[in-house]
Amino acid sequence: MEKTAEDKKRKPSKSEFVFGCGSGFGFWKWAIASVIFRLILIYFPGNLNLASRPEVSTPLTSLRRLAEGYWLKQLSMSPYAGSMYHGSPLLLSVLGPLTVKRIEGQPNYLICSLVSVVADFTSAMLIRQIGQRLLAAYGQNLRSLGLAELFEGSLPSGDVAALVYLWNPFTIVTCLGYNTTPIENLFIILSLYGACTGIAPVAAFGWVVATHLSLYPAILIIPIIVLLARGLDAPPRKLFLQQLSSKAGNDSSSDRHVEALKSQPTPFSLRPVLAFLFWSLLWASYVLILCGIALKNSGGLWEMFERTYGFILTVKDLSPNIGVLWYFFAEVFEFFRNFFLIVCHANILFMILPLAIRLYHRPCFLAFVYMAISSILKSYPSVGDSALYLGLLALFANELAEMQFSFFLFCGYVGVSLLSPVMHNLWIWRGTGNANFYFATAMAYACFQVVLVVESVSSMLNHDRKIRKLSTSMKA
Amino acid sequence: MEEKEPVKSKPRPIIRLGLFLMSHSLLVSVVCCTAGILALLLLPVLAKNTYISENALMPGSASPMLSSDDVSEASRFVGKILSLNSSSASLGIEIPRLIKQHITALGGEVNYHEFRSQLNTFRPLQFFASPDPGIIQENSSCMSYGLNTVGIIRAPHGDGKEAIVIVTPYNSGKVTAGEALSLGIGYSVFSLLTRVTWLAKDIIWLASDSQYGEYAGVAAWLREYHTPFFGGLGKLHSEICCEPSGFSEFETDAILETGISDTFRHAGTMAAALVIKVADSSSEFEKDALSIYAEASNGQMPNLDLVNIVNYLAVHGHNLRVKVEKIQSFLHSWWLWGLGGLFESLGKLARSLNPQWSFGISIAEYVEGSATLASSLYNQALGVPTGPHGAFRDYQVDAITMEFSRQLSPGYRNRQTEFLMRGGRLVEGVVRSVNNLLEKFHQSFFLYLLTSPNRFVSVGVYMIAFALLVAPLPMVAASLFSDASKLGSMNEQSTSGPFSKPALKFRSWKWLHAARTVLIVQFWGAFMTLLPYFYCHIPNSSPMTRLLIWIVLLIISLLLLWLNLGSIFSHGNNTQSQRTQWAYLKSVTIAAAFTGLCLMSVINFATAEIGALLLVPMCLMTVPMKLKGWTLRTSMQVACNLVLTFLGFPPVAFVVLKGALKGFDSISIGEFWTWMEALWEWNSATYVYICMVHLPCWVLCILTLLHPC
Repeated sequence: MEKTAEDKKRKPSKSEFVFGCGSGFGFWKWAIASVIFRLILIYFPGNLNLASRPEVSTPLTSLRRLAEGYWLKQLSMSPYAGSMYHGSPLLLSVLGPLTVKRIEGQPNYLICSLVSVVADFTSAMLIRQIGQRLLAAYGQNLRSLGLAELFEGSLPSGDVAALVYLWNPFTIVTCLGYNTTPIENLFIILSLYGACTGIAPVAAFGWVVATHLSLYPAILIIPIIVLLARGLDAPPRKLFLQQLSSKAGNDSSSDRHVEALKSQPTPFSLRPVLAFLFWSLLWASYVLILCGIALKNSGGLWEMFERTYGFILTVKDLSPNIGVLWYFFAEVFEFFRNFFLIVCHANILFMILPLAIRLYHRPCFLAFVYMAISSILKSYPSVGDSALYLGLLALFANELAEMQFSFFLFCGYVGVSLLSPVMHNLWIWRGTGNANFYFATAMAYACFQVVLVVESVSSMLNHDRKIRKLSTSMKA
Repeated sequence: MEEKEPVKSKPRPIIRLGLFLMSHSLLVSVVCCTAGILALLLLPVLAKNTYISENALMPGSASPMLSSDDVSEASRFVGKILSLNSSSASLGIEIPRLIKQHITALGGEVNYHEFRSQLNTFRPLQFFASPDPGIIQENSSCMSYGLNTVGIIRAPHGDGKEAIVIVTPYNSGKVTAGEALSLGIGYSVFSLLTRVTWLAKDIIWLASDSQYGEYAGVAAWLREYHTPFFGGLGKLHSEICCEPSGFSEFETDAILETGISDTFRHAGTMAAALVIKVADSSSEFEKDALSIYAEASNGQMPNLDLVNIVNYLAVHGHNLRVKVEKIQSFLHSWWLWGLGGLFESLGKLARSLNPQWSFGISIAEYVEGSATLASSLYNQALGVPTGPHGAFRDYQVDAITMEFSRQLSPGYRNRQTEFLMRGGRLVEGVVRSVNNLLEKFHQSFFLYLLTSPNRFVSVGVYMIAFALLVAPLPMVAASLFSDASKLGSMNEQSTSGPFSKPALKFRSWKWLHAARTVLIVQFWGAFMTLLPYFYCHIPNSSPMTRLLIWIVLLIISLLLLWLNLGSIFSHGNNTQSQRTQWAYLKSVTIAAAFTGLCLMSVINFATAEIGALLLVPMCLMTVPMKLKGWTLRTSMQVACNLVLTFLGFPPVAFVVLKGALKGFDSISIGEFWTWMEALWEWNSATYVYICMVHLPCWVLCILTLLHPC
């Protein structure tokens, strides 16, 4: 099916990773090719029918539901009537008019698809910027630790990550699947970009809008604050201090010393954090006022909270998706439902603090880990979430060069994404399978994501260990 | 698939187990493959007797009510149809009219359903799609019409939500005696059911016109039944066809005549469907016989309970001889007889050791079972339905075809009423049994293989053979992968210090190169899948020429791939990297084959099983020819590789298998193409499997064979 072809395309994206690092890298060629590829697929007359796939569009992100909500709103009813629409009223005001606009002889929702393409491309450009900054910081840190050789032959991780994001079949499928995930991903990436470049208003804007749209990015507040307060990812601060003290013992006037002083991560600086919080408040109140205006004829803000965040948190829609919660809450007794709701959501919250402490020195990587974990445990996941964290993962191509089980994970992702539609078909259309068949693939998918997170974190920590070992041996 | 290198600390038990299996992968794969083939051969021994799983069915608990009046009525009906056949020219109109008159006289509702013959369109991914209502209007030519007649009885005790369908296909061009008899059986049952009080589900009698194939008429009716279409036939005509057709005129006449509206009549959702056919050839046994056909598209089977009740009622209630299809040539193959003898003596031995072990079966039983099993496997693997019942399975309705064949005897007239009585009572019994159902069939198996009408192998047993066969694939892939990465890392450690060189840095991502090669070949496979779509409309070409075109295009496209992307296939300048490169290539190839086979086993198990028999040895054996010096062992290996790869090419495999079964003198190579065309006309997933899994793996194996290392 369409996914078969798509998933095969997963490979070139990653093969760029290694073989594209030569001189003629042709980033723009590939980026533009990906946009053209999307445009061709949008015009493709075939019945790809991605919008109805449970893997691609969820009750939260589906544009069809948005069109329904817009229709209700036009009839001066509440857009949340009938439990069809569960998104933001702002999206309704922005995208709603686009869903009804038809161009003669063109497929429906054409303009919305174009918006998705633009959002994808912008996200990729922002990822590229983040990557370039991360790479520069990586090089500088290694130089200041006297390990410049380690930096030799590093990949331009920004370009790689942007191309992985653009050519990832998950991103392409999401972009074609008539949903709002590309826009949500754009705001998440925008907040990270703002934090990486130290522009507090942009970071605050991205964070507030992303949280408003899909709630889960709220946990990104920790990496963003760390990024704003301490700067980009770096090896642990202890190393720089050791380096500094040893250099001070030997020769206090070397230029390396000065460089180390200059580039060592700053201690926690409060000012940008306060600016971020201030701007967040400002943007949040602004967004709420706009929502209030948009909903003034219907239920108002409270209804919005209940129908969007309430819908996410209470897992009301139990239609199958690639997550693990729907099956669980379909089986659980009503009596225990509230208890398990708290347990499932607390799962994400439990992991925030330990990870923040362990990966304090690498806030961008921390953001990737948070996104991956929330994609595993969120109530209505889709492949668009995987597209986001896989793109962020490629930002750390240099650090994760020694990552284990890469082939295993790759085979797993390909296998699961092919098997999932087959199992769905077996259950829904042929009737020879049952819900367990589909849920088995969902569990396998969750397992592979867990392995990915565990392996990437452990190889990142191994990388830190390696740097420490090398720098201490240099010192000796 | 890559495992942690053994470090100082002891790895976890599961990793140690994995490492152990990987280090003995050769032994493990030989053992597993042999066990897999052995398990396949043992399946007839392991088959279980069927049993009625759903208690509500209660077959045979009521005495049949079909009386001799019904039968003599039906016999007259058959006579009328046969006389129409000899007299009238416009048979396509007269028979529906006759059936309609009879149904109306019985008090049933009736309507005509007009359909157009459809060209089979090529939709390779149809498996993934739901039945598409959009295709009703496509590809219809206005000239050719078929006319189904549909009669409906409303159940006195039902709520009209469920229905049982009886299908009697007949060719409106020329009705044979068998078809007339099947219509007669349908009529006799229908006339009985209009009077009974126990009916809880509506009865639909579909006299389907099979002049465009038995399947087409039933499929067209089902499609319309499941897609609500608003507006009458006349509207349909004016929308699609500007030419008025003879039938629609006739239609309006008929409407005026009888005052019956032309609306498409619906009953409830279908619980089960029975297709009744009567063979024109006579049964070769002394009894009347009943053949059961159950395979629908893509190896889907109806619920085993349906087969069971038909078999139970036919054998116990009506003294019919029930048979399912067999591969005849298997019955005379010496090696099966030998194996059967071996299994029989093993069974005797086991019984002498412990009288409770009774798994042995007799030689004849084993051979019959294997022949039936092989036919069952082959029909499922083809993915082409074996009769009109296949159309029902697309809508999740359980259906089978019951083909009666008559005993050859002199007293024809008497025999006919007796035969009608027997067939009618059997159908009545099945309908009565299904009528008892409270839910749709779900108790018994959907995934099974038949070894005789009353013995089956369930999914839990036959999966073992497949699982054993493919189990070596991930192991060998992992072992090759870890060997290659170990070799690579050893070289690096000898050449570089603590700072790894840039080229060596991404050691754990080296497989990406091989993955790219596999990806490109997969794309080529997708291209080959779609290729026949573009040139299948060349007129006046024989299958042979089409096959030749296909092979020539295949070779040309492969050469082009080789010339343009030649650098891809021979990457790396030093011998060391090339040595690891082929291992990576083979490893990724095996991983791709494993994924493909596992996917296919979910879609159509039988295809995956047969495919694994061909693919697994080929993928596991393949080794570059230039690897070592020419010793006896390597030359044996190379010879094995060449033979397996030669056999792996689909046309060759087809011809060899066919020749082995039917003798080599009767086959032509063009037959392969006819076979392939049938596959894609029926939208079989097997076609996609051959082009997207088998062919790319075959090409990759050749690439590994020719690898310059």
